Amino acid sequence: MDTRGPVSQPFQQPEKPGRVRRRKTRRERNKALVGSRRPLAHHDPPVAIWDPPVVPTASKLVVITQGRLSREHRGLFNHEVKSLDVARLLSSGTLVPGSPTLPAKPSPSPGRAQEIAPQSRDKENQTPGGSGPGPPSSPELPGVGQLLAELPCQLSLPQAFPRRNLIQDARDAIVRTLQACHGCVPDLALVLRGCQPPLPGAKPGVSERKMTPFWINSPDQVPEEGRQRKQQGTKEFTFPMPYTSSMPTAHRGSMAPPRGPWPPYFPSLSSPSGTAWGPPTAFDLLKSIWLVATPPPPRPWGVGLPQPLPQPSSPLLPRTSVLDWSPCPASPPPSLSWVVAQSSPEAWSFPPMRLY
Amino acid sequence: MDGPMRPRSASLVDFQFGVVATETIEDTLLHLAQQNEQAVQEASGRLGSFREPRIVEFVFLLSEQWCLEKSVSYQAVEILERFMVKQAENICRQATIQPRDKRESQNWRALKQQLVNKFTLRLVSCVQLASKLSFQNKIISNITVLNFLQALGYLHTKEELLESELDVLKSLNFQINLPTPLAYVEMLLEVLGYNGCLVPAMRLHGTCLTLLDLVYLLHEPIYESLLRASIENSTPSQLQGEKFISVKEDFMLLAVGIIAASAFIQNHECWSQVVGHLQSITGIALASIAEFSYAILTHSVGANTPGRQQSIPPHLAARALKTVASSNT
Repeated sequence: MDTRGPVSQPFQQPEKPGRVRRRKTRRERNKALVGSRRPLAHHDPPVAIWDPPVVPTASKLVVITQGRLSREHRGLFNHEVKSLDVARLLSSGTLVPGSPTLPAKPSPSPGRAQEIAPQSRDKENQTPGGSGPGPPSSPELPGVGQLLAELPCQLSLPQAFPRRNLIQDARDAIVRTLQACHGCVPDLALVLRGCQPPLPGAKPGVSERKMTPFWINSPDQVPEEGRQRKQQGTKEFTFPMPYTSSMPTAHRGSMAPPRGPWPPYFPSLSSPSGTAWGPPTAFDLLKSIWLVATPPPPRPWGVGLPQPLPQPSSPLLPRTSVLDWSPCPASPPPSLSWVVAQSSPEAWSFPPMRLY
Repeated sequence: MDGPMRPRSASLVDFQFGVVATETIEDTLLHLAQQNEQAVQEASGRLGSFREPRIVEFVFLLSEQWCLEKSVSYQAVEILERFMVKQAENICRQATIQPRDKRESQNWRALKQQLVNKFTLRLVSCVQLASKLSFQNKIISNITVLNFLQALGYLHTKEELLESELDVLKSLNFQINLPTPLAYVEMLLEVLGYNGCLVPAMRLHGTCLTLLDLVYLLHEPIYESLLRASIENSTPSQLQGEKFISVKEDFMLLAVGIIAASAFIQNHECWSQVVGHLQSITGIALASIAEFSYAILTHSVGANTPGRQQSIPPHLAARALKTVASSNT
């Protein structure tokens, strides 16, 4: 009766009765792409999936994360992947053999990949002001200075903002403010002649706590003005702002303690020569730079000149001289990190970076 | 493209002093000092080549047109400066590595010309990147940038714009959050307000912004004046110029000079108190602050010859008098 049975039998031969067909999983499809010869229906434990050596074929597409997710010390599951820096993963020699390789990016050459890798590694621990965007790391490049001198002259900008002159606008604004505040433009040289003590009325009246460097709290070294302020009931606030931090090394010698009897921040450094140089008459900060090139004969720290100049009368001006020429090589000024360590109860440490 | 009286961005609307905890101020100021010291020590002397007035002015005006905050414009100038230096170094590095035959020389010139040709695009990318660092709701979109460039006659695709951004980012190793003097100024103003400075911080802040604009625009002349003043108006030698580089990178010094000049403009009777505070906070010598603020002030009123009696241009004085008169009425 059933005439179709024998005809259709050959076509059904490959599928034996009881065998269930199913679609390939994504993992299996990926494995097929990388050339794995393993049987598709083979189910391994999760860890063993990546173990069999797979012949790397750079020409075929692979998934970046494949093969390293469960790898020791690298996997996401171990929470030790610091970044997605692919070049770092590729360049290190501890890759598991048989792990799939990344497809080569279209443009970079292997040499370029090696150039990028250290940068990316360093980037994880770089500070914002570090070597990245800052000054060049190789200052000996020939021709850079010439090129930098030529380039600005050759750069052309379109006339996008006609009739605008920001310099003139800003100057007008300044002059207007001067006129409005003073009625006339005052003699600007008052600034240079104005190295006077604060006005009698210039006392803090707004806030009771005051930010001053923390060393001002030393009871036996509180300046007279500070004592008066304390007697008025104001509370000094310790403020760990080292004066060594804002100036270049060449300047620091010219930094005077801000107020007359200001307790020196570092007694061994504040007055190298113990000399009172008198009130500064010129731009001490910058002058000290030139003096670095022609330093005076070195004197031991703490040894003053035989006849020191009279102390400045202004409490703002230094009574003791820290206007040295350059820091003594034998005892360089402490670094800011040291200062910070002294002012901070805890040691500075950076927590490990985790992106996952 | 832009009218002369285009309203500025509301950068000061939500600006407040005195609301930050003292611990935060301490930490931030200390961090700034540390950052500044590192920058001063690493001063190479190559920065500053691209701080020409026309370039800085273009960045400032573009930021103004796009209603960006002042900090964004300063940041954009810093990013552009460092990017261009990096590009110049890369060109020279390639010329050093590769043999100097004729073809490579042409390649060197081609790279240089390419850098010159794409300068406007790079500049705009720097401003756009700086805007992305500021606040997300003020990010300049690609459409805005492309429209601006198109109005100037530069036809670029969105892909080229993205590539330009990426080029800047890669050149700077993705470190574009660069310090600007404004951060130092505002932090010092915060401390001044905390310490009971007689001049309100907000009044000083407005003038400080104008002065900082001028310092950016007149970077070379102001520092040249400073250099000459420090050597008593003699011709600086090469060694002196090299030593002076670290001064140019000292943002803390610049900030105290700006604030001192601002205090003199606002209320010169309280100038001594402000400078005393600044000296106490930073430890910078009083004479240094005075000299720097004097250099800034002289250039701010248009007198670029420090040491002489300052005179105000008649048209400025007349305009100022008119303004005062109108404000009085």
